[in-house]
Amino acid sequence: MRQTVIKIKDVSLEYPRHRHLLSMLTSKIIKQRNNFKALNNINIEIFKGEVIGIIGNNGCGKSTLLRVISGIIPPDRGECLVAGKISLLAGLGTGFSNHQTGRENAMLYGSILGYSESQMLEKFPAIIEFSELGDFIEEPLRTYSAGMKARLGLAVASAIEPEILLIDEVLGVGDPNFKEKSTNRIMQMVEGAGTVVIVSHSFGMLAGVCDRIILMDKGRVHSIGEPKEIIRNYYDLE
Amino acid sequence: MEDDASVSELMPVGQRSSSIYSPVSNILIAWKYKFLTKNLVGRTVRGRYRNSMLGYLWSVLEPLLLSIVYYFLFNMLAGNPDRFYGVWVLIGVIIWTSFGKSLTATITSLSSNKGVINLIYFPRVIFPISQMLSNIVLSLMSCIVIFPILYSYNVELSLYLLYIPMAVFLSGFLGIGFGMIFAPLNCIQKDVEHLFRFIVRAGFFFSPVMWTYEMALERGTFGSTLLSLNPMVTPITMARHGFAGHSTTLPTFSIVYCLSFAVIMWIIGSMIFNRYERQAVKYL
Repeated sequence: MRQTVIKIKDVSLEYPRHRHLLSMLTSKIIKQRNNFKALNNINIEIFKGEVIGIIGNNGCGKSTLLRVISGIIPPDRGECLVAGKISLLAGLGTGFSNHQTGRENAMLYGSILGYSESQMLEKFPAIIEFSELGDFIEEPLRTYSAGMKARLGLAVASAIEPEILLIDEVLGVGDPNFKEKSTNRIMQMVEGAGTVVIVSHSFGMLAGVCDRIILMDKGRVHSIGEPKEIIRNYYDLE
Repeated sequence: MEDDASVSELMPVGQRSSSIYSPVSNILIAWKYKFLTKNLVGRTVRGRYRNSMLGYLWSVLEPLLLSIVYYFLFNMLAGNPDRFYGVWVLIGVIIWTSFGKSLTATITSLSSNKGVINLIYFPRVIFPISQMLSNIVLSLMSCIVIFPILYSYNVELSLYLLYIPMAVFLSGFLGIGFGMIFAPLNCIQKDVEHLFRFIVRAGFFFSPVMWTYEMALERGTFGSTLLSLNPMVTPITMARHGFAGHSTTLPTFSIVYCLSFAVIMWIIGSMIFNRYERQAVKYL
């Protein structure tokens, strides 16, 4: 029997619309529920070694689902179970600060991603090499071009070796050269990681790597299954 | 990786220890994530005086200039009461700033790290703790100004000077306790932040920054009531006594009151923070 590594049971999540204390109180009192339902009763089971793609229109809850799986947002109802070390790859270079050097930023980003100091020092030569920054690594980040920042971010982020890898639309940034390089690197990570969940709009890529695809629509799971079939479902949605 | 074999069991995501243990577990977490904490502190400290010619010198200039203003103001209003008065104000300003910045920085610690919080999960208590630590580092840097002053007043160096860094820590710790109570609320309503900026400004006058513990005692009942209620009296007065080079003359009661106040605030703050932080980040 295949081992389940991610189990999402009846997960629902609402984003509050009310920001003001007063309107929050009144909505509590008159039991009016007009929160935005980001996830509505999601049930998904993902097995070890699978590569899963998630597709859907903007605002259908794809990213929210990844955030629930990685523990950023707790679900309102239901529960999400995970086996193993999990990592969400989203927005390369989170927490970068312009007035510190490339090295310091790499260290900061690495520690945000959960590395210890010794792990970071060990990975550092490989990070510099991949980022192609050379001596520039000691310069403040504000002197970097956008492409250099992206390379540094990817170099650090792709050094992680999680058992479960979640990827949220990080492909396709920068110039064509880097785009190819980053895509290749992420493909390497996908092959290296045990289990992968990818949110993306590039259906061609998804059809190539995924074992199954999940189509989400308005906070619900529309269908799960064979990549080609699900992508066809997506075009039937409209 | 240690938990490699048989790939761990299914565990609920984002399970956190019960909030009852949080006052202790938060400290353990900060220790466990010390590399991250260190880097976040580095980022804040480096960022504070970025793009300025004088750089870190501002951490000394800021309290110094403020004290000079108050020194002249007080001289005009009340006449010079004490040859050390300027120094007392300076120490008061440094310690009060340590508290005030630590308080406002912890309150905004979640809302100002929106970008990181939305993309990566790690225990969020790291944010207020690293904010507090960076403010303590900056306040300790301001304390350097005390050495030339010691020299110019011909005050001898003594171990009592250690009261000053201790006071910086204590005031920072008082700040984080208060701040963590309101940090989750500030994700929902930014009003909290503005309110506390005002409270820090007003508290300045109700704490012995421009005046001293000894002056208040001379004022009779009003002065002593104010003194017995305000937990900031202890760190500021302690630091001043440290400068003067003698053991503190504060009653044991005020020291115990201040310490227990800080600890109780930390306990309440930790529990509230750990309980509500998960819901609050949805609003970010």
